[in-house]
Amino acid sequence: MSGFAAFAGKEAREIPRTWRIWVLPGILLFFALTGPALAKFTPQILETFAGDQFKGLVLPTPTYLDAYGQWIKNLSGIALYALIIIYGSIISSERKSGTAVLVLTKPVSRTAFVVAKAAVHSMFLAVLVVAGTLITWGLTAAVFGQAPGSALWSSAMVWLVFGVLFIALMTLLSVIISSAAGAAGAGLGVYALVSIAAIWRPLGAYSPAALASQPTSLAAGKDVAVLWPVLTSLLLAVLLVALAAFAFRRKDL
Amino acid sequence: MSTAIQTTGLTKVYDEKRALDSIDLAVEEGSIFGFLGPNGAGKTTTLRILTGLARATSGSVQILGRDLSTAGNSMRSEIGVLPDVPGFYEWMTAEEFMRFAGRLFGIGRSVIDERVGVLLDLAGLTDVDTKIGGYSRGMKQRLGVAQALVNAPRLLLLDEPTSALDPMGRKDVLDMLISLRGRTTVFFSTHILSDVERVCDTVAILDHGRVVAQAPIDELKARYGQQKVVVEVTGGADELAAQLGQQSWVSAVVRGHNGRIEVTVTDVGAAQQQIPAMIASRQLGLSRMEAGEMGLEEVFVELVGGVQS
Repeated sequence: MSGFAAFAGKEAREIPRTWRIWVLPGILLFFALTGPALAKFTPQILETFAGDQFKGLVLPTPTYLDAYGQWIKNLSGIALYALIIIYGSIISSERKSGTAVLVLTKPVSRTAFVVAKAAVHSMFLAVLVVAGTLITWGLTAAVFGQAPGSALWSSAMVWLVFGVLFIALMTLLSVIISSAAGAAGAGLGVYALVSIAAIWRPLGAYSPAALASQPTSLAAGKDVAVLWPVLTSLLLAVLLVALAAFAFRRKDL
Repeated sequence: MSTAIQTTGLTKVYDEKRALDSIDLAVEEGSIFGFLGPNGAGKTTTLRILTGLARATSGSVQILGRDLSTAGNSMRSEIGVLPDVPGFYEWMTAEEFMRFAGRLFGIGRSVIDERVGVLLDLAGLTDVDTKIGGYSRGMKQRLGVAQALVNAPRLLLLDEPTSALDPMGRKDVLDMLISLRGRTTVFFSTHILSDVERVCDTVAILDHGRVVAQAPIDELKARYGQQKVVVEVTGGADELAAQLGQQSWVSAVVRGHNGRIEVTVTDVGAAQQQIPAMIASRQLGLSRMEAGEMGLEEVFVELVGGVQS
């Protein structure tokens, strides 16, 4: 994969010097900073806004697990939607702007071009998830007085695998579909299908579809077998990137 | 002399449209080759195939003696490319992009340091610290030429390299291309015929996906120059021009200053016999009569049926 290091270096330098440093990091930072406090004060907030409407409803006292659940639900919801939309143009934007032409007329293989992008942005997501989880962990300890790490970290790392899988998926969709909006729409459609597929037991136990719900269970402190879904997700991510590289090699630019 | 580019039966079909129709090109190593054609003739498609950005439907391409379909990425280390509208990372400065381009070629840091300074100076961008996003089209074009030279290529492929430049920028780029003669093969497409006349050794003219002419530029002009006769008479030029325009062997008549008439003819022999006779019958004075040379623009217009890019 000639040119991989030089192009990956460009891709990494591009993040802090463009809008990419603000959008996804901003979303995750917001959720990490507000999640524990929201979890702690949800009963009071509900009481303030709902008044007497939930008079008979007795809410359990929030625990650190609610803060963890809040973080993972935000990752699985808005953060994942944002990721799908942002990476809908991961390849097509370079084709449209003409930068891919200047790069690919030099000794850089198309495989290196695609793999470098998927790898660098997976690393970027990992850094963001680790940083956000650290913030959530620290604030949870400060707000609740205790914050055992295993439930939080296991759920966050399992979600990270799911996030990496979607970066790989968006890399492929962005090669196949030249419209960023079209690729993002297809990505959201796949997410909806994966969430539905997880209801069927074999898929919900062994396939990547399980990762749509398992991080939430882990964050709630439940014992969940994640080995097979994690392995199949990582394998599928590699296959999707390989497929993206294959499709990109066959495209006229 | 060996060929830097050799295409045989190069064809590209998009859906139903035949963009290139069995193109045969031979570009000698060390030459400056002008690739001309009206809009939509297939110039950019040809360049995209030569640079590996698109695949030919059929036919073969040899670049620097190697088959393009099997040469792989390593061949690109010997080629410099400037697309028609170069796309840059707008968050970079010119120097950052040049260094990035150098690293993509695997060039060592000390060599990059040396070349970046020289090439940015050539592009007139040495003291420009702003990001590329703030550049004019001309500045981007000059940076595009500079980045195409960062690997000291054996073959330079340029798509409309001077189209966005002001007269001084054009002159600088053309002077730079002339300075590469004999060392680097330059293949460039352009619609500015005066640029081609100034710098090119050889041209190919493309029309509707076919090469309609390919020859050294002097040979091409001489070939068509035989079909033009320049006459200068002492008076009655308008009437003579009108009479000439009615002859079956005359395809065009252009009145010049004073008594000058340029006659494009289909039969030089008939012109040589009948023009003096017509002048004598009108009792006009003949100051001059000679075979004229067609300019490249006239050759181009004649070959592509009057449609210019």
